[in-house]
Amino acid sequence: MKTKILLVLLAAGALWSVRPAQAHHAFAAEYDEKKPVTLTGIVTKVQWVNPHGWIYMDVKQPDGKVKHWTIETAGPSQLSRHGLKKADFTDGMSAVVKAYQGLKDPALANGRTLVLADGRSFYVGSVGGPNDGADR
Amino acid sequence: MRDFRHRHAAAAVVLVAASLLAGCGTPAPEGTPAPEQPPPAASPYRPVASIREVMNSVIDPSVDVVWNSVGSDIDHGRITDRAPATDEHWAEVRRHALIVSEAPNLLMMHNRPVAPPGAPSLAPGVELTPEEIRSLIDKNPAAWYLFAQQLQDALKPALAAIDAKDSQALFDAGDRIDTTCENCHQVFWYPKAVASAR
Repeated sequence: MKTKILLVLLAAGALWSVRPAQAHHAFAAEYDEKKPVTLTGIVTKVQWVNPHGWIYMDVKQPDGKVKHWTIETAGPSQLSRHGLKKADFTDGMSAVVKAYQGLKDPALANGRTLVLADGRSFYVGSVGGPNDGADR
Repeated sequence: MRDFRHRHAAAAVVLVAASLLAGCGTPAPEGTPAPEQPPPAASPYRPVASIREVMNSVIDPSVDVVWNSVGSDIDHGRITDRAPATDEHWAEVRRHALIVSEAPNLLMMHNRPVAPPGAPSLAPGVELTPEEIRSLIDKNPAAWYLFAQQLQDALKPALAAIDAKDSQALFDAGDRIDTTCENCHQVFWYPKAVASAR
């Protein structure tokens, strides 16, 4: 029985290990509002979980190398209220995310808007972000 | 904690009343020293961890287990839903939901320091210092208790969902838990950051 529980926990740990630490903090404690970024790339994974969602994107750099970005979003209930659905994330989909870069991790960002390939735009920001009009 | 204080307050009222009645019946001769009042009973609680440590070591790791137990992973367009698959996993999630449900009682205990002695703000200029947080709590303990109790209330639907093994209800309950956390943090942890973002 203990082995079974251990296996479940190990599997869960492996599944969730890709996500950054998620303890609550003020936006400005983790992200730099002076570093807005616009990321155009391919969405590879999405974690549709509380308290925040996570979008993983491959973004081609000017030098041709691919940078793997991790983008924090509002929680899934909030995303749903703005009209975004899990089924919107299709295989190989391209997207544009406007975000603010992490203070410590340059491949981490806090998303503000997500524009899908079909042109639909969604506000994905979490509480406490900059007053940049993204939510209007 | 409130009941505990109420009991002591009631006992104090009875003692005062009794001493007044005794005073009416047998006036003390002049020059007789007043009888010594018994010292107030000390609280039996002995906080060990600070509020910050309770948050980081008790609440946060456990609420993460509750939150992470349900949801979805979308990998290259393929959606995989998360939900506890076995009775053991549901029981594990329930244990952590109970920890988060009881932890607010720890937060409401008097004289628990906000952070270990000398500890600074974890994000100076953004998140308040322990002294500033202490001051806010002392100025408005009723709000502190209310937020703590709201966290307990937010866990009730989660516990009910766990008992019913209803992963969708647990997912929905997770949103309320997060909102409750954030409401308190905006008042007692980083009100300046929230104000400047508005």
